[in-house]
Amino acid sequence: MVARRAEEVFLEMAWEVGLLALLSALIYPGIIFLVVIALFYQWVDRRFYAKLQNRYGPIYTGPRGILQPVADLIKLLAKEDIEPSAVDKQIFRAVPVLILTMPLTALFMIPITGTWALASFEGDLIFIIFLMTLIAILAFLGGWSSTNIFSTLGGMRAALQALGYEVPMAVSFMGPAILAGSLSVSKIVQWQASHGLWAILLNPLGFGIVIVAFLAELERIPFDIPEAETEIVAGWQTEFSGRKLALIRLALDLELVLASGLVTALFLGGPTGPIPIIPGIAWFMIKTLVLVLIFSNLRALFARFRIDQMVSGSWKYLVPLSILQIVMLELLLGWLSF
Amino acid sequence: MKNLSENTFSVPFGPQHPALKEPENFMFTVDGERVVDVKIRLGYVHRGGEKAFEARTYTQGLYLVERICGICAMAHQLCYVNNVEALIDVEIPRRADYIRTIIAELERIHSHLLWVGVAGHEVGWDTLFMYAWRDREVVLDLMELTTGNRVLHASNTIGGVRRDLTSEMISRIRKGMKLLKERTNYYKAMIPKERTLMKRAVGVGVLKPQDAVALCAVGPTLRASGIKRDVRRDDPYSAYDETPFDVITYDGCDVASRVLVRVDEILESIKILNYALEHLPSGPIAVRLPRGVPAGENVSMVEAPRGEDIHYLKSNGTDKPERYKVRAPTLANWPAVGAMIKGGYIADIPIVLAAIDPCMSCTDRMTFTEVNSAKSWQWSRDELRRYSLKWRGK
Amino acid sequence: MAMQNELVKSLAKKPATLLYPFEKYDSIPGSRGKVVIDITKCIGCGLCIRDCPAFALEMVGKGPTCDMKWYITRCVFCGQCVETCPRSAIIQETTYDLAGAEKAALVIEYKRPKSS
Repeated sequence: MVARRAEEVFLEMAWEVGLLALLSALIYPGIIFLVVIALFYQWVDRRFYAKLQNRYGPIYTGPRGILQPVADLIKLLAKEDIEPSAVDKQIFRAVPVLILTMPLTALFMIPITGTWALASFEGDLIFIIFLMTLIAILAFLGGWSSTNIFSTLGGMRAALQALGYEVPMAVSFMGPAILAGSLSVSKIVQWQASHGLWAILLNPLGFGIVIVAFLAELERIPFDIPEAETEIVAGWQTEFSGRKLALIRLALDLELVLASGLVTALFLGGPTGPIPIIPGIAWFMIKTLVLVLIFSNLRALFARFRIDQMVSGSWKYLVPLSILQIVMLELLLGWLSF
Repeated sequence: MKNLSENTFSVPFGPQHPALKEPENFMFTVDGERVVDVKIRLGYVHRGGEKAFEARTYTQGLYLVERICGICAMAHQLCYVNNVEALIDVEIPRRADYIRTIIAELERIHSHLLWVGVAGHEVGWDTLFMYAWRDREVVLDLMELTTGNRVLHASNTIGGVRRDLTSEMISRIRKGMKLLKERTNYYKAMIPKERTLMKRAVGVGVLKPQDAVALCAVGPTLRASGIKRDVRRDDPYSAYDETPFDVITYDGCDVASRVLVRVDEILESIKILNYALEHLPSGPIAVRLPRGVPAGENVSMVEAPRGEDIHYLKSNGTDKPERYKVRAPTLANWPAVGAMIKGGYIADIPIVLAAIDPCMSCTDRMTFTEVNSAKSWQWSRDELRRYSLKWRGK
Repeated sequence: MAMQNELVKSLAKKPATLLYPFEKYDSIPGSRGKVVIDITKCIGCGLCIRDCPAFALEMVGKGPTCDMKWYITRCVFCGQCVETCPRSAIIQETTYDLAGAEKAALVIEYKRPKSS
C-alpha cells in the first residue's frame, strides 16, 4: 500500500511540474508575457522617438496612449487579408507564422526572471544565432514568394544585409562566451552574477559592435534598407496585409525584445543587480528599456544607408574590429591569469 | 520583354509611390540594383488649366494662375500680373514692387525649408523632416499675417498688391527672420557634418555643367552645377534691381550641392527681406486700372523657388485672354533627371528625384497638335474627361 | 551623430504639435475665412458674381431687392468679392472651421428682412 501511494504521489508531482512548465511557457514568463512586453516596448519606442523629434507620438488610446500598439494589432487582425493570385501560396502563408515563432523560441532561452532561462542547454547561444539567421531567410522567402518587384528587391536586400551583420555579431558574441567558458546564455549570466562584474567592462568594443549589428538585424534606421519606405514601398512586407501583416509586425516587436534581452544577458549581467530585494524581472525590464531607448535614439539620429555601403562598411570596419576585440580579450585574460 | 542575356527588369515608380509627393510615372530599367534606363511619363496632374484661362476674365485669372502650384503660388501670380501690366503699359507704385519682393522671398524661404524636410524624409532621416517643417511654421504664420492665407496667398492684383504692410507686421517679420536665420545657420553647419546624409548625397545624381546647359536645367539644379544663372539677376523684375544679393552656386554637381545651394538661398532671401523692409518706400500700394486689356502679346519670366518660370499671354482686346501658356521650371528639369539617374542605384532614385524639387502640378501642360495641318488646340477638363470615357468605350 | 545635441534638447522642450481639436487654433487677425454679406448694404449690382473665380456667389432675384447665396463648397476664400463690392457690403471673417455634415449646411443664404 505504501508503494502504491508513492507511485500516486510521484505521478501527481510529475503532473504538477508539467502543468507548471506549461503555464510558464504559455503565460509567465512565456508567450503572453512576452507579447505584452513587446507591445509595451513598441509604445516606449514610439513615444521616445516622437519626443526626440519634438512631437507627441501616441497619446490618446488608453492612459498616455499605452494601448496604441494593442489597438494597431487588433485593427490589423480585423482587416481584410488580400492575397494576390500570383503568389506562391504555401510559402506566402507560412512565412508570417514561422517568422512569429522564431523570436518566441529564442526568447525561451534567455534568462528573464532569474539567472536560468526556461530552457537552457550547452550551445544555446549558437542556436539563437541560427534562429536569427532563419528570420533573415524568412524575410527573403516572404519577399520572393510575393512575386512583386518591390518585394523581390526587399527580399534580396534582406538576404544581403544578413551577409553583412551576421559575422561581426556572432564573433562579438564569442567575447562573453570566452569569459564564461560556456556557450549557454544562462551560464554566461551565471558567470557575470557570481563574479559580480558585467561582461561589457571587459568587452566594450564588442558591445558597440553588437548594438550596430542588431540595428541591422531589427531592420531599423540606419539599416532599414530591406523595407525602405521611400524606395521600395514596404520592401518584402509589401504584399502582406490583414492578419499576416499583424503577425509580421508582432514578430518584429518580439525581435526587439529578443535583441535587448540577449544583449542584456550577454553584456549587462542579465536579470541581476546589486540590490537584492528588487526581483530579477525588474532588473531585466530596466536594462532592456535602457537598450530600447538607445535603439530609438540611434533611429532618430541617422539617415538610411545604401545596401552596398552597409555591406562594404560592415566587412571593412565591423569584422576587423570584432576580431580585434576577441584578440584583446584573450590577451587580457592571458595577462590576468599570469 | 526580358532579355535573358541581360538580366534587366522594369521597376515602376508611381503614379502612386511613397517617394513621390505627386503622381507621375517613371519606368526604370534596372540590372540588380543599378539603374540602366528610365522612361519618364508625365501628364497625371493635367487639369486643363490653360484652357480654363481662356474662359475666365483677367480678374478671375489672378486666382486661377496661383493654383497651378501651391508652393510657387506667388511666383506664378507675379508672372501673370507682370504680363498683364506690361500689356496695359502701366507703372505700378514702388511700394507695391517692394511688397511683392518681400512676399516672393518669404515664399522662397518657405519652399526651401519644405524641401529640406522632404529631402531628409527621402533618405530616411525623419528627424530633419520634423525639425525643418516645425521651422517652416514660422514662415507660414508670417504669410497668414501679411496676406491672409498660409499658402495660395493671392497678394497681387493687377496694378499693385492687395494688402499693405503695417509696422506691426514689419516688426513680426523681422523677429521671424532672426529666428529663421539662426535655425538655417544651424542646418548649414550640421548637414555637411552628418556623415550618413553626405554618404547618400555626395557623388549621387551627378549633372556635369555642359550637360546641365545642354538639357536646359533651371534653378538650383543648374546653380548646383556651377552655372550662375538667376532671373532675378539676369532680367530683374519688381524690386530686384535695387536689392543687393548674391547668386549662390556650388561646384559639386551632385545632390549634396543642391542641398547646400538651397540652404544658402534661404540665407540670401533673409538678406533680401531685411534690406527690402528697411528701404520700403512710402506711397500707394496699387493703381486703379480700368477693366480691359489692350490686344498684344507678352512673355514674362520670374525666378520661382524651383527655377525659371515663363508665362506667355496673348490678348485680343476682350476681357478674357485669348491664349495663356505656362512653362513651369520643373518641366525643364525632367530631361536632366534622366541624365542624372542613369548609372545610379535604385536606392538613389528618391533622393535624385527629390533633388530637383519636383512640382508635378507645375509640370503638366498639354497641347494637341495635328501634325499635317499644323493646327493646335487646347481642351478643357470636361472635354478631356468626355474623351477618356469615350476612349474606354463607356 | 551631428544632431545628437538637438535631440537631447528636444527632450526638455514642449512638443511643437497643437493638439487640435482639444487645443483651439487662434486665427491671426486678417486671415481669410468666412465670407459674410451685409445684405442691407447690397445694391444687387452683380459685380462680385462677375469677379468670383470659383462661381461661389449667386444672386436670388434681381436688383436692389435680391438675396445672396454663398457656396462654401465652391469658395476658394480669395477675397476678391470683398475688394470688388462698391458698397463694401462683403467682409471676410477669420472663421475657418466651416465643415458641415449635411449638404444644406454648406450653402449660406443672406436674405433681406421682409418688410410687410
